[in-house]
Amino acid sequence: MILSPKKIYLMLIVLGAILMTFDHLTSNALTDVVSPSGLGNACAPCGAPCVDNQSK
Amino acid sequence: MSKAASMPSAVRRPLSFERGSLALFASLAVLIAGLVSLDTGLTGVGLFILGGLLGAMFLLFQYGFASVWRHALVRGEVMGLAAHFLLIGLCAIVFIPASSLGLSAAGTVAPVTISLFVGAFIFGLGMQLANGCGSGVLYSFGSGSGRMMVALPFFIIGSVLGSFLLPSALGWGSAGPVAIAGGLSDGLRTIVNLAFISVAGFGFYLLGRHRGQQLSKRLVLACLIIAALCWAVFVLSGHPWGVTFGFTLWGAKLAQDIGIPVENFTFWQWPGPARALSHSLLSDISSLMNIGMVLGAAMVAAGSGQLSRQNWPSGQQLVAAAVGGVLMGIGARLSFGCNIGAFLGGIASGSLHGWIWFVVAMTGSWAGIQIRPRFGLEK
Repeated sequence: MILSPKKIYLMLIVLGAILMTFDHLTSNALTDVVSPSGLGNACAPCGAPCVDNQSK
Repeated sequence: MSKAASMPSAVRRPLSFERGSLALFASLAVLIAGLVSLDTGLTGVGLFILGGLLGAMFLLFQYGFASVWRHALVRGEVMGLAAHFLLIGLCAIVFIPASSLGLSAAGTVAPVTISLFVGAFIFGLGMQLANGCGSGVLYSFGSGSGRMMVALPFFIIGSVLGSFLLPSALGWGSAGPVAIAGGLSDGLRTIVNLAFISVAGFGFYLLGRHRGQQLSKRLVLACLIIAALCWAVFVLSGHPWGVTFGFTLWGAKLAQDIGIPVENFTFWQWPGPARALSHSLLSDISSLMNIGMVLGAAMVAAGSGQLSRQNWPSGQQLVAAAVGGVLMGIGARLSFGCNIGAFLGGIASGSLHGWIWFVVAMTGSWAGIQIRPRFGLEK
C-alpha cells in the first residue's frame, strides 16, 4: 500500500464529516432525537412492523 | 538551541502529528455537538457524548464480542462470556422494570421470525471473518484499524441490502414478539429473567473456574462502566442502545445521493425508517451515537499514539473484512440488530429473540471460524 492506514483514515474521517454536515444542512431537522421504532406499528429497533404468525 | 529543537525530527514528528489528529477529532466533536445542540438540544448532545464515552471505554478496555466468542469456541476460554452476561444482567436490572422505576423508556422485544435465525447465523459468520461485531467495527475503525476501514463500508452496503430483503424475509414466518414471563408483573419478570441470565453467566463462570481461568478485575470494571453508560443511554433515548440502524441509514442516504431510489423500497416506506431517511442523520439516535463512538475511540487512539502504529493487514484479510462486513450488514437487518441491539439489548429486555440470536450467532461464529484459515486468519 502506498498510503499509510493513518493517512487514509484521516481522509475518511474528514470526508465523513463533510458528508454528514452536508446532509445535516440540506435535510429537514427534528426538534428531538428519534429512533425508527418510535413510529407506527414498529416491532423491532429498525422500525419493522409487527407480523404475527405470518408465512408465505 | 532548545531541547525540543535538538531532538531528531523522526522522534518529534509522530508525537506532534498525533496531537494534530487529536485536535482534528476534538474540533469535529465540538462542531457536531454544536450542530446537534441547535436542533435537538441537550438530549442530542448527551447521547452524542455517551456514544463518545462508549467508544473510548470499549477501546480502553478492548471490550469486544468477536474474539471472546472465538476464544470460547476454539480454546474453551469462557470467562469473557461470563462477563458478557454480567453486563447483560446489570442492564436488565434497569431495562425490564423501567416503567415501575418511573422511567419513560422501554426495552426491545423484537419478533421471533425465521429471518432472525437466518440473519443471526449470517451475522455470526461475518463477525468472525471481519474480526469484529457492530460495536467492534466502530471502535476499531475509530482507532484507525486498516481492517475496519474496509469492513465498515461493506457493513454499510450489506445493511442497505438487508433493508431491501427484510420486508419479504418477514413473510418467511413469525411467531411475533415473545417477552419471557411476559404475563407477570415487572418485578417478577425481572426476577425470572435475571434468573436465566444468572444461570448463563454463573454457568460460564463456574466452567471457567473448573478450567483454571480467572475473571479479571479489569473486565468486571469494564462491565460496570459500560453498564452505567447503557443505563444512561436507555434513560435518555427511551430504549436500549443500538448500533446497526445507523449504518443502514448512512448507506441509504449515500445510495440516494448516487440516484438509487431507496425511498421506493418497502423498508424505507415504513414510518420510522421513512422519517429517518427524510431528516438529518444527526436526528437519528443510532447515527448520532455511532459518530460519537468513532470520535471517542479516535481521541483515545490519538492520545495514546495508536493511530501511527496501525498497519495494513494482508490482501486476503482485507477481502475477509469486506465479505464479513457485507454478511454482518445483511445479518443485522434480518435479525433485528447486532451484539449490542439484539444480544445485549434483547436479552436485557427479557425478549426471547435475544437468546435465540445468541445461540444462532454463536453457531454462525463456529462456521466462520472454520472458514477463517482460507483468508489467512488464525482459528
